[in-house]
Amino acid sequence: MTLPIAVDAMGGDFAPSEIVAGARRALDELGLDVVLVGVPDLMGDPLGLEVVACTEVIAMDDDPGGSVRKKKDSSLVRAAELVRDGRASAMVSAGNTGATMASALLRFGRLPGVLRPCIATPLPNPGSTPAILVDAGANAECTPEMLVQFAQLGTAFAQAHYGIAEPKVGLLSIGEESTKGTPLVKATHALLAATPGLHFVGNVEGRDLIPSPVDVVVTDGFTGNVALKTLEGALRFVFSTLLRVVDTNDETRAAGTALFDHLMPVVNELTPERQGGAMLLGLEGICVISHGSSNATAMMNGIRVAGELVADGVVDKMRLAIRPVEG
Amino acid sequence: MNDAQAPLTRAAILTLVTAQLAEILEKNPSEISEDASFSDLGADSLALIELVEALEEHLSTNAAGFHIDDEDLEGLTSVRDAVNYVANKLQVA
Repeated sequence: MTLPIAVDAMGGDFAPSEIVAGARRALDELGLDVVLVGVPDLMGDPLGLEVVACTEVIAMDDDPGGSVRKKKDSSLVRAAELVRDGRASAMVSAGNTGATMASALLRFGRLPGVLRPCIATPLPNPGSTPAILVDAGANAECTPEMLVQFAQLGTAFAQAHYGIAEPKVGLLSIGEESTKGTPLVKATHALLAATPGLHFVGNVEGRDLIPSPVDVVVTDGFTGNVALKTLEGALRFVFSTLLRVVDTNDETRAAGTALFDHLMPVVNELTPERQGGAMLLGLEGICVISHGSSNATAMMNGIRVAGELVADGVVDKMRLAIRPVEG
Repeated sequence: MNDAQAPLTRAAILTLVTAQLAEILEKNPSEISEDASFSDLGADSLALIELVEALEEHLSTNAAGFHIDDEDLEGLTSVRDAVNYVANKLQVA
């Protein structure tokens, strides 16, 4: 029996309407069974989907850890409990990222040996397999041992989800030389190079994120989140500038029309809606964190990603990937 | 900890806190002293919430509904603080 994917109907800037619509599309267009978790009075029409009722909502600006403890009957916590209790195969939320991570961590538990879970975000690579950025924001302060584990988890993820036999691992720094970077980066470089089972190829720089020469980009959560948001902002600026230039006069509009069919597939590959969301790695369950501004399409893709991770058996593969790190 | 009927002592609470913290931080319990601060141990806010939830689960066998108030968490900065807090809450000498 295939378990449904639990969807936090109350999380996200456009919840619940866009979330519910995306969940319905996941069923209709992808054939994925979903169960909505939400407050019935606030949720509106569930569009014929199964609903697990709860009474509370964790707001986007609620304190992550505290809200999970205080709001035990929230949609986020209940969605995590459905996975923990074997009633759902995965959870997806576009809500408060920190609270999503806390819910999953506290309800699923960590895989044996995992120091801290990390957020893995796919970096689009048009025409090829995405690279994975770990950690994209879960742990602001890290140790070299944690970063090596992120590399192990990212490697297992790239193998299981993208079918890459020997994923190349790069360490995000400010230069390719091993002597460049903060004390954390330099210590991590040495440890990564000495850790068996990893295909560590050295440092990569911020300009190497898209397209990336490696399959797994390792960094601490603070740097990773800044890098990711910088990338998103830059791409948004480029797209909006391009559209403004195209709209200059009849001649540029005609050129834009001619290029439209060629540009759109590239644009689609680079937009967050297409990626579906980030994954929490290192836990005893699957949790996809969708973008806070997710619309129905983004939510459907988040559910698609969750379904793929379930089919990949990614948790069991990560369980095997974690090895003791000698610091 | 399988001591639901045994009287709880401060030493037992210290052992419990140390054991839970060691599990959460993937450390050997011998690496965690009573004097250690949470920040020196590398315990971030989520790790402390993991600790609180684990303590509530274990100690509810001794005191039904044992609960650590979130407001009190900010005042707990070391292993000793946590042990004293729990001992005080359970009225253990």
